Amino acid sequence: MPRQEKSGLMTTTNTVSSVQTTEESRHWRGTLDLRFSMLDGKTFPTKSYSTSPLRVQRPFYPAAAPDNCQSVIVHTAGGMVGGDQLDMAITAGPDTQALVTTAAAHKIYRSQGDWAEQAIQLNIGTGAYVEWLPQELILFDGGQFRQSLRVNLEPGAVWMGWDITRFGRSARGETLKAGAWRSQTEIWQQGKPLWISQQQLRGGSDVLSSHNGLSGYPVVGSFLLLGRPITSEHLSTIRTLLDLSTSKDCDFGITELEQGLVACYRGFSSQAARQYFIRIWQYLRTEVLVQKGYVPRVWGVS
Amino acid sequence: MAITIDQQALLKLLQLTSPALPVGAFSYSEGLETLVLHGHLTDSAALHKWLVQELRYGAVRLDVAIATRSHQNAQTPDQLAYWNQWLTASRDTAELRQQSWQMGRALVRLAQNLHPELQPSFDACGTPCNFAVAFGIIAAHWQIDPYTMALGYLQSWATNLIGAAVKLVPLGQTDGQRCLLKMIPELTTTAQASVNLQDDELYVSGWGSAIASMQHETLYTRLFRS
Repeated sequence: MPRQEKSGLMTTTNTVSSVQTTEESRHWRGTLDLRFSMLDGKTFPTKSYSTSPLRVQRPFYPAAAPDNCQSVIVHTAGGMVGGDQLDMAITAGPDTQALVTTAAAHKIYRSQGDWAEQAIQLNIGTGAYVEWLPQELILFDGGQFRQSLRVNLEPGAVWMGWDITRFGRSARGETLKAGAWRSQTEIWQQGKPLWISQQQLRGGSDVLSSHNGLSGYPVVGSFLLLGRPITSEHLSTIRTLLDLSTSKDCDFGITELEQGLVACYRGFSSQAARQYFIRIWQYLRTEVLVQKGYVPRVWGVS
Repeated sequence: MAITIDQQALLKLLQLTSPALPVGAFSYSEGLETLVLHGHLTDSAALHKWLVQELRYGAVRLDVAIATRSHQNAQTPDQLAYWNQWLTASRDTAELRQQSWQMGRALVRLAQNLHPELQPSFDACGTPCNFAVAFGIIAAHWQIDPYTMALGYLQSWATNLIGAAVKLVPLGQTDGQRCLLKMIPELTTTAQASVNLQDDELYVSGWGSAIASMQHETLYTRLFRS
């Protein structure tokens, strides 16, 4: 099924950008090179090069936060199969402000044995402020996916990001009986690691049910701020805002890092995860980073 | 895997892994206190299951893998600095980071008195030095091989957490000892696996344990520091 979807799209995407799929491999190898620079006091995407199935929409400047350049990445094939690879490089020049998100959930279909791979590198210049807030990833039963996210912060750079992952199409009762998932996140500043997280899950593993792991929940998410230490007052205000005492269908935690904070969700709902993260993100944006708050319309939430 | 250890090294291993080692290991529960208060850990079977899962998938594997690296690189300053920073950046929560640093600081202070000649290695690590990194340096100096060191590290880790659970659940002392005995197959398997972990195999699956530790920060009453 995914194979048909892909070949059906190949001709249409061919017209908008070069297709790197060859007859021999029949796999997508999408690349993205997105660069933001300051021009006359405003952030512009001064380079936006992509190959299918990746595409970047025209930049958008929200009325509520006009200094912020919002870029939406579109994956025109809708999902990945084993052997597909995506490489994205996002570079933010000094003092730029950019929010990068994705147009839709990212699906990883059942694999015949190969990994689908995604590698993202973000280089964030001095004084720049970048948000990487993609929509959820759905790993189908039997899917094999590994991703790496590497963020390099120059002095004074600030980065916020999240990822939300659903293991199995749980809405239709699917669990992850087979397949595998690996995720590597590293945030560095001037040769020093600020945050390293390397997690993995195998389909059918006892991690799916154990308290140490997922405790039967299909969705996990994490939210990160790095490059800006927060006070204990801010942390306790965020905890109050989240009102976690009433949450029954999930577990949530938040803790301080030397250069920021990390929050973790596990539960049934990727929307609930995103709502928690939006509240943290909006608070940090407006109260800690003194930016104007807004929610991108592409997420379809209020 | 069979081990052969000479008498000197065995006695030093017992000293390094003893609850009498003044690093305050007894004051940390690594999230167990949250589980007990939330009603997720009510008997020794649940405790055993939790600890086995931590050994198979949890952050303690990283501790042993990094202790092994510091053991093997005790004379290589840039490697010590790298892996010490790496371990700090890999700690899931503020409390676990503090635990690793506080126990590390106590162990470094002790070793500085016992073996002033180790100072260059500790200087290379920088401060704060994580407990597992200092542990590896001392084990190398005491000529305890990495696998034996790993067995000792994991056994003392399990002893401390079982001790915490005995107080928290509470469990009988005999139940605690039975749990520790029952963990022996898992301790040996994990020691071997963790010592052999390659740099691209340092993965964990510990969402629940990370959240338990995060939630510990806001418990109303806390007996333990993590």
